[in-house]
Order: sequence, then C-alpha cells, then structure tokens
Amino acid sequence: MSDTPDLDRYPELAERWSRRSFIKSAVAGTALLGFGGALMRLAADDLTRAARAENRPDGKPRLPPGQRVLEFLRPMGGDEGDGKTETFRLKVHGACKKPFEVDYANLLKLPQVEKMADVHCVTGWSMLGGMWKGVQLKKLAELAEMTEEARFVILEAAHGFTANIPMKEAMADNAMVTYRINGKPFSIDHGAPVRGLVPDLYFWKSSKWITGVKFVKNDAPGFWETRGYNNHADPWKEERYA
Amino acid sequence: MPDVKKRWRAWLRAIHRDFGYLAIGFTLIYAISGIAQNHIEDWGDVSFKATERTIAMAAIPPTTPEIVAVKSVADAVGLGTPTEHARAGDELRLDYANGSKATAILGTSETTVTIQARSRRPFIGLANWLHTARHKNAWKYIADAYAVLLLYLALSGIFMIKGRLGLKWRGTILITTGILVPVMYIGLAGGPDAQKDAVASTTSGEIHSVPVGIGAPKKESPTPTLTPTQEPDVKGPGSAVLVPLPPDDDP
Repeated sequence: MSDTPDLDRYPELAERWSRRSFIKSAVAGTALLGFGGALMRLAADDLTRAARAENRPDGKPRLPPGQRVLEFLRPMGGDEGDGKTETFRLKVHGACKKPFEVDYANLLKLPQVEKMADVHCVTGWSMLGGMWKGVQLKKLAELAEMTEEARFVILEAAHGFTANIPMKEAMADNAMVTYRINGKPFSIDHGAPVRGLVPDLYFWKSSKWITGVKFVKNDAPGFWETRGYNNHADPWKEERYA
Repeated sequence: MPDVKKRWRAWLRAIHRDFGYLAIGFTLIYAISGIAQNHIEDWGDVSFKATERTIAMAAIPPTTPEIVAVKSVADAVGLGTPTEHARAGDELRLDYANGSKATAILGTSETTVTIQARSRRPFIGLANWLHTARHKNAWKYIADAYAVLLLYLALSGIFMIKGRLGLKWRGTILITTGILVPVMYIGLAGGPDAQKDAVASTTSGEIHSVPVGIGAPKKESPTPTLTPTQEPDVKGPGSAVLVPLPPDDDP
C-alpha cells in the first residue's frame, strides 16, 4: 500500500498536498539556483584574489574593498550622446582666462598621453590595467589658463549629465578626456567618441559622452551625486552612497 | 448594514481585479527590467547586443589620399560603402547605414581596424528604456499612474477578504512578514551608515605587498604596472586649433 493518500477521494487533501509539493519544489529550486550562482562566483574569482595581493605605487591596495575584477569594461547604460566624431565638440570653460572649444580632430592634435589605469565601478566591478589614451585634464586647464579660484572640475556630458571632481583628483596625472582604450576606440555604450577618465574615483565620475570641462569655484553635485550617491566617491574609502 | 458592508468589499474586489488586469503589462515591464537593473553589476546593461571585431591590414602611408585610404579600409571591413567617413589624427572612421562603425588606427607598420556594431534587444531593450522615466515626458506621468495603481492594489488587498484567510489570520501573518523582511534586513545589515563604519575598519589595516601583474591587455603586457608610459612633452596646444569662447557668467 502506497504512503500517498487517495487524493481523488479527498479533494481538500489534494489541494493541500499539491501546495506542499509546490512549496517544497520552490524551496529546493531556489536553493539549487543559489548554490549554482555561488559556485560560479567562486570559480570566476581568481582575478580578484590575485588583485587583492597587489599594491599600487602609492601604497593603496590595487583592488579597493568590496570590488571584484572583470576582464572588460561592462556597459552600465546611461543617456547616450550621438557617438559621432564629426559632431563632437569639447567646451573647456568656467573659471579660466581663455575658455575654448575644440573638435575631435583638433583634440587629437593636442599633447596626448597614454596611461595604464584601473577603474572601479560603484556597483562592485573593477577593470585593471587598461591602457587609456587622451588629453590630461591638467593640460586642458593649462591651455584655458584656469584661475586660482577654481576648486572643482565639472565633467559635462550629453543630455545635461554632470559629475563633480575635486581639483586634487582632476589634476592628477591619470585624469583625462580619453578616446581610446587598449588601442581601440570606445563603443557607443562606453562613451564614444570621447569620455572622461578619473580613475581615482568611482567610475561614474568618468562621464561618458563628454561635452565639456568646466572649472568652478563652488562645488556643484552632479547627476548621481544628487540621487543618493557619494559626493566624493573614493573607492578605497568605499564612498559609494551619500 | 451587512448589505452595505458586503457591497463595499465587493466593490473593492472588483476594482482590485480590474486594476490587476491593467497592471499586468506594466508589471512585466518593470519587474523584468527591475531584475536586469538589480543584476547590472553581473550582467551589465542587457538592453543591447554588441559585437566587436578587430582586423589587421597593411599599413596605409600618411601620404595616401583620403579617398584611397577609405576604400582600402572599406574593402578590408567588407560592409559595403560607408555613408560617412572622417579622419582625425591617426584615426580614420567609417560609418555605415546599419549603424556599424569601423575605426582604423593608422600605424606605421600596420593598420588595425576595429568594427563595432550593436542592436537593441527586442523586449528587454525597450523595457529597460521605459524603466527610467527620465527625459520621457508623458511616460513619467504614466509611470506615476502605475505607481498609484500599485498602491491601490496593495492597500485594497488588505481588506479584500475577511475571516481567517483575511486579517484575522493568514492576511496579518503575510502582511507582517512582508513588512518585517525589509525592516529586519535594515536591522541586521545596520543600514546605510554601517557600510561606512565597516569600510573604515577594512581600509585602515596593514597593506600587503606581493606585486602580481593582472588586467588587460594580457598579451601585450602580462605584468602591467601603474606607471605612465607616455608623457606629453609639448607646451601649448601644439598644432591644434582651439576656438575661443566668451567667458562664463557664473564660474
């Protein structure tokens, strides 16, 4: 004789039985999915483990806390610009004596740098060792003759997006407007044709589809900074949220 | 009096049912795109399917007329005749009618061409686009209306059924569970401020120092370090033309 009751004779029991089976199956399925997901994460984390053992030349850990390493930049969305080099114009203005505008062809004629830099997304991924080519923000500041009263740099981008950068990080050697990574142009979802790069802050500060660099006296929190994200955004202090 | 009570609950259920039907389309859009947004750090932006390939071809000397260079690159790319092209520095960019782009980096020993294309995924691409109401005029108000609809569904659900399946037993337990889950999470995780405290303790510790190379590009540089590879040695704008702008009113 089977342990299973005669469900046809007792419809109320049948309902309970099927509900119990459903809940059991759901719990088992969820546990299996969770276990599988955890295994996948562990297997893919060799890069992260290796990076955690490294240091930067300035003594900070190569990988900020709470980050894991990806091999490629991950597209994170955003309001895209048109991505065209023909229509690209970069406005360098604000607290400076010689504001100017430069098109794509002339941007490439400015003194260029190519630097290796790590970037760290606030959502938790980092991409290490990318070779970024572009024009340093400090070079743009020099050409525009930025005045001493300037304390922040605002990176302006398509559709009114802005990100505020304190002068210290903006004038660092590795901060630039960039149009190439690892010898390749950016695709539209990564900010083509030109994006900002401020590697010492979370990556949202490196505005994609950049249109302007503005030097300002007073801080002006930008798009994400006014939506709950940290105003400074230092990855080593895990300054993710306000 | 009992009739009035019955009618009241019946109306609540009828409206709940109809609003539920109305909400199905919206809920599919917001729930599926919400899951995609939730896992953006794992999956990235899944709105588009992007492809990229790189080909190498013989070097194109700088003296080559632009039209000849464009034809050489277009032939190598094999996507037909480009609709637009532009030369800037060591780059030659070709745009195609289907949205594909080919960028040739004109090196001295060879030309490297990167061909990029992408297309919006049918459902999730549009759902993700709709999920953020920013810059969408009327959709912002439609999304607000959906939020109000959800509020009605949530609040009316409390009173739809009376007795043990309602607030007297099952309803109360499930409502309490639904409220307790986020409250307990905040309590156990410590809320937003706890993260800052945890970080302070993790970043003030000893620093390890085992230099191991990691990161892209692996082939060219298996042990990349964070040192500059090229420094500009040019004063002023070089040969670039900068268009002067009038000063800002509010720097």
